[in-house]
Amino acid sequence: MALSVRSWVANEGGKHLVLVLWLGANTLLFMRTFLLYYCGQQYHYLHQMLGLGLCISRASAAVLNLNCSLVLLPMCRSLLTYLRGTHTVTSRKARRLLDKSKTFHVACGVAICVFSVVHVSAHLVNVVNFSVRYSEEFPSLNVARYRGEVRCAHSHTHTHTQPVLTCGLLPQDPRLIILTTVPGITGILLVLILFLMFTASSYCIRVSNYEIFWYTHNLFIVFYIILIVHVVGGALKYQTNFEAHPPGCLRANQTNPDKTEEESGQAEGDVWSCREEARFQPNSPETWLWVSGPLCLYCAERLYRYIRSNSPVTIVAVVRHPCDVIELRMLKKDFNAHPGQYIVLNCPSVSSFENHPFTLTACPTEKKETLGIHLRVVGDWTERFTELLLPDPGAESEILPMVQQRRYPKLYVDGPFGSSSQEVFNYEVSLCVAGGIGVTPFACVLHALLDGWRHFRLRRLYFVWVCRELQSFYWFAELLCALHHKLWQENRPDYLNLQLFVSQTDGLQNISEERYRPLSSRLMIGRPRWKLLFEEIGRTNKHKRVGVFCCGPKGISRTLHRLCNSDRYSGTTFEFNKESFS
Amino acid sequence: MGKIEWAMWANEQSLAAGLILLTGGIVGVAGQFRDWEFAAYAIAAGVFVCLLEYPRGKRNKGTSVERTGQYCFTVCVKSFGPLTRNYYVRAFLHAAICIPGGFLLATVLGCVCLGIASLIYLAAAIRGEQWEPILPSKESARKPVGESIKLPPQNPPPRPPAEMRRKRAEDLEAAAYVNPIAVTANDD
Repeated sequence: MALSVRSWVANEGGKHLVLVLWLGANTLLFMRTFLLYYCGQQYHYLHQMLGLGLCISRASAAVLNLNCSLVLLPMCRSLLTYLRGTHTVTSRKARRLLDKSKTFHVACGVAICVFSVVHVSAHLVNVVNFSVRYSEEFPSLNVARYRGEVRCAHSHTHTHTQPVLTCGLLPQDPRLIILTTVPGITGILLVLILFLMFTASSYCIRVSNYEIFWYTHNLFIVFYIILIVHVVGGALKYQTNFEAHPPGCLRANQTNPDKTEEESGQAEGDVWSCREEARFQPNSPETWLWVSGPLCLYCAERLYRYIRSNSPVTIVAVVRHPCDVIELRMLKKDFNAHPGQYIVLNCPSVSSFENHPFTLTACPTEKKETLGIHLRVVGDWTERFTELLLPDPGAESEILPMVQQRRYPKLYVDGPFGSSSQEVFNYEVSLCVAGGIGVTPFACVLHALLDGWRHFRLRRLYFVWVCRELQSFYWFAELLCALHHKLWQENRPDYLNLQLFVSQTDGLQNISEERYRPLSSRLMIGRPRWKLLFEEIGRTNKHKRVGVFCCGPKGISRTLHRLCNSDRYSGTTFEFNKESFS
Repeated sequence: MGKIEWAMWANEQSLAAGLILLTGGIVGVAGQFRDWEFAAYAIAAGVFVCLLEYPRGKRNKGTSVERTGQYCFTVCVKSFGPLTRNYYVRAFLHAAICIPGGFLLATVLGCVCLGIASLIYLAAAIRGEQWEPILPSKESARKPVGESIKLPPQNPPPRPPAEMRRKRAEDLEAAAYVNPIAVTANDD
């Protein structure tokens, strides 16, 4: 499939522009700091002592400052939801960039790790140089406390019969320098915390043991506190009086061995003789300037989320659906949500610290104030949660939903948080592809359309739902049929184009209920053929921008992404938006 | 809340620690530091740890994701049997490997990271985890349809539905049928 430049730019252009800007900022900062330390007059003596290690370590420190401050910003989810929801950010292109906030966070994190390695290696070389090249001319410049101690040892050589005493000067052990200075110890702690955070963040661990990832990642607050203390040590000093004492100038009782008598006699006093001794002062720490803003913002956001989620939630109804799905209806005061947003549940009776995200399937409206979620029971948290909500079912009542009144556990709801599916209403034509339980964001969209479809910009919705088993369609069969009937009554039958697919060919293949006739006539067996679907949508919606929304397995979203970037659709542009958690 | 598999995290850590040890060793040898023999040892130790830890173990529950190209490493590591399966052995092995790294400045970090990994392996071993190799599954997903057809049927065909079995008063002849096997309990 050929790649189309226009489609690629529409889909990937924004992300790559941000990437280029970010790389440019990092490179600029690195080069600027490197050159400052390489050529700057106030660092001349320090550079002489330490060499290239000084420049590399300071330049990487500047890049680390930038990335440590940027890495917190994409994680302020309430702020991003606010930016996305209230259309403060008016361009849809900019809002699509907000979908990639987690990717940006990961990129900054990787940059922090890489530059930490560079920074640590360069500082190790610096420490060795501090120890070996102890400067007696400028004692205040040193970090090592002494030139070295005299160590003597007896040695036997083959030419002498008696043992010979040889004495030499042993510079201060670099390891001691590290362990006895504030930057050294804090540096070691920082690297250890970063090591723990980095190794627990791989995809494999997030998928299998999310708790390890979550608890180690929350060590970030310790990391930041130690980071601010790390720069306070003042190990690197700059010269404050380089006008009065130009670097490389001669002292009163020194002669420059390189120059001849005539040249030194002829040279004017200002250039080559020093008016005063060099004075040094530690660099003022600037990490706190970079880091404190985003850190305060993030802490304020966490506090706000904690306060907001502390108000109680009443569980109104619990309904069991086929294929291990539970619908939960709740009431919460002052809760406003848009279709496509998700909430995070915390149930202390199940686990005090675990938070699990679930997309809303029903938002509170004026007519109905409850908010609803559908959750699939897979994994130990959902199993335990379901046990607390419902008694054990009998095998026969699997298909019929069961409603029961009992004492429900206490539940805390944090959110709502924005996601890419909120944009469905902002395109003229949208294609929503759902795989299994991934239908939940689109169910909320359909509920909103049921309440009133005329005031949205959306003119046509293609809804493709692929499930493994036929019973899964009963989760939203009522909703789909109700919307279908409403649109037919209001003379807009082409608004909703529904296609249902059952991918496993072994099970039941027929929806037999009479009231679900619209579904059974749109049911197809087997997997959808995406290319044909895209061609059909392209032909019937020429020269339009179609929003493609996918919430489902990786295979489907990769195929759709590739199709959106290719070029055979008669002038129609497909913009790809993917919903994902974890 | 549920069962955390510590071994997976320890595996990631020890792989990263092996790489750090290797890098530190290369820096130490290239810079010709004073005790550069330790750096040379660190290079060898780093390579060994990376080779040992590259194949991921199988998860107890759920799907295991392999690292790219790990199959040959899995076969090598599996061949050592209980030495590599038991996490106590790995914990003590890593603890022993990391100690010489502490003597040279360039390899100190690798030493500390490997030490942390060995502690987590100890925790995993205490909880009874073991390293299982991820091998491609041999059995096919579906049984071939032909097998059951070769055997003759073990049971007689089922009875006609209840409406037919109910004796109709008006037409006794048509309602009669022969039971292939006895349907009453005490029919001798």
